[in-house]
Amino acid sequence: MATDRIPGSIQAMPGTGVIHDIGYQSYEGRRLGRLAIVTALCLHSLRSAFGFGRGVKAKIVPALTFVIMCAPAVINAVAMALNHDHARLVSYDTYVGTLRVLVTLVFVAAQAPELVARDLRSRVLPLYFARPIRRSDYPTAKYAAFVLACLAMIDLPVLLLYIGTILQVHGGSEVWAQTRAAVPGLLVGLMWAVLLAAVGLALASVSGRRAFSTGSVAIFLFLTWTLVGVLSRISVTSSGGSSASGPGGVVRVTGAAHLFGLVSPFTVLDGVRQWLGGTSPGIVSAPGRYGVAYGVMLLVFLGASLAGFFLRYARTDVG
Amino acid sequence: MTADRVDETGRQRPGPRNGRPPAPVIETTALTRRFGTSVVALDELTVQIGPGITGLVGANGAGKSTLLKILLGLLAPTSGAANVLRLDTVRQAERIRALTGYMPEHDCLPPDVSATEFVTHMGRMSGVPPTAAKERAAESLRHVGLYEERYRQIGTYSTGMKQRVKLAQALVGDPKLLLLDEPTNGLDPAGRTAMLDLISRIGGEFGISVVVASHLLGEIEQICDHLVAVDGGRLLRAATISSFTQASQVLAIEVDEGSDLLAAELARHGLEPVSRGRELLVRIAGDATFDVVRDAVAGLGLPLNRMEQRRHRVEELFRDPAEHAADAGTQQTRRRDPSVQPTGAADGH
Repeated sequence: MATDRIPGSIQAMPGTGVIHDIGYQSYEGRRLGRLAIVTALCLHSLRSAFGFGRGVKAKIVPALTFVIMCAPAVINAVAMALNHDHARLVSYDTYVGTLRVLVTLVFVAAQAPELVARDLRSRVLPLYFARPIRRSDYPTAKYAAFVLACLAMIDLPVLLLYIGTILQVHGGSEVWAQTRAAVPGLLVGLMWAVLLAAVGLALASVSGRRAFSTGSVAIFLFLTWTLVGVLSRISVTSSGGSSASGPGGVVRVTGAAHLFGLVSPFTVLDGVRQWLGGTSPGIVSAPGRYGVAYGVMLLVFLGASLAGFFLRYARTDVG
Repeated sequence: MTADRVDETGRQRPGPRNGRPPAPVIETTALTRRFGTSVVALDELTVQIGPGITGLVGANGAGKSTLLKILLGLLAPTSGAANVLRLDTVRQAERIRALTGYMPEHDCLPPDVSATEFVTHMGRMSGVPPTAAKERAAESLRHVGLYEERYRQIGTYSTGMKQRVKLAQALVGDPKLLLLDEPTNGLDPAGRTAMLDLISRIGGEFGISVVVASHLLGEIEQICDHLVAVDGGRLLRAATISSFTQASQVLAIEVDEGSDLLAAELARHGLEPVSRGRELLVRIAGDATFDVVRDAVAGLGLPLNRMEQRRHRVEELFRDPAEHAADAGTQQTRRRDPSVQPTGAADGH
């Protein structure tokens, strides 16, 4: 501060200001350990996933996607209040399938780069790695943060749906029934968050360029999802079926056509949900006896994404 | 060997010699790092660096940055070992990094946050609790000379201000050792001077040991107590700046005519003059050298134009690979070697 000036101890530096000699004080206070540092990085990243601590522009996409995601829960609450039969319109475990796919796709593609591509772009990573943490701590913190961010995006609307519903039902047994139905729905949301955060970060970290980073996530997720729809259509058409339908619809298919859903993380997630006992019709037909394949594919997607993501930061040229 | 003095904490600047053997801040033993099979970044480097400011000089690609990364435990040595603050760089890397601040050579700042936010965050990453991190960040930025501008986004800063932010983030965790990689990179002359003054203050008043890697030897020379020169991943020389420059004092004599006569006369008195352009250069062995030159010029009745005492510049380290030898041998080697003449780059002063 200007008031700190001590005569004779000021060095003029043309054009760039002045250095004031106010004496250096060393820090004698508490120092936090590795776990606390990683937690701090995780919370910092979680905030940035929603644009907090950044400008207004950074908040637009997360806010918009969240509002859209909450819309069905709000509509449900209003509808239930107006109708007297008190029937819930939206299921907990699928929410609104196609909407959830599109909204999470946009959120992951837009916000995963916010967590990882910025640091790659500005080459700030060597500063992190020069701190008292391990190399793998950085991707660990980022992954944990993004799982939480995706979980908030997916499960907060489900919670809202639950709250909106129990406000309209009467009797403890009704509330208990709703609670029992909502819990699996929340767990499905967790499964989505765990997988999509991994896929999103792995693809977003391929490049520090924001456009490439977002593009690789969006293209992969959208292309694979569209592919599932196209393949399903072809199989239905070629087998003479007439009820062909893309993502969002239900298609009765047989045999190998069940496996088309393995291409996209979204349909894999929905296949696993149904394999594990989810009964609501989803974005992919029930996998039936191919359910195990969906389970394996989920682990393959998750394993490959996490391996790729962590290896990205193990490379020495990154640091 | 480069440390004159030491204290237990390694925090203070070299004080009066207290008789104890110097405890090095950094110590490497036959440190080797290869990249692939062909590139040898460090080749059996054995060196000790004491408290105070040490210049790590070498041309681009000499292995400076590789050495700094190994010291931080970011790279593992292929063979050999290194200790920083008596901690092993492979097994105790996290503890080393808790005590060490690092300023990389390249740009490493996000453009869309303010310096305050960024340095605070980096303080948190050094293990400083939230409130203290804010205070430390404000203090570090003030020490590097950033005031109101610290609330602005870093993207709007000049190169000089960015370099200061890089230095502030290295200081924020209150390190015992600072590793600075080319801190004057991209700065204009005024900015360079300011940055060097700042580093000098950090090594002096702040009592933090500093290692400054640079390929600009003339700069390093101004602020360092010690010098470690590397070339091709090998140690070229490690010495205190003063022992170095003392060994390289020369006297330049310029006469309008009779330069050859004077050279012969000086040689007769055992001075081994070296002719360069219009000048004769002789090594200064003490006051007697001046007397001999004065008497020779007067005796021959030559019109003396100029007589100037000069110091060899650190640049010459790289002209004579034979000078791997210890400090004691250096003077002798240099006397016999005509390559020790001050040359173009050294004539600036």
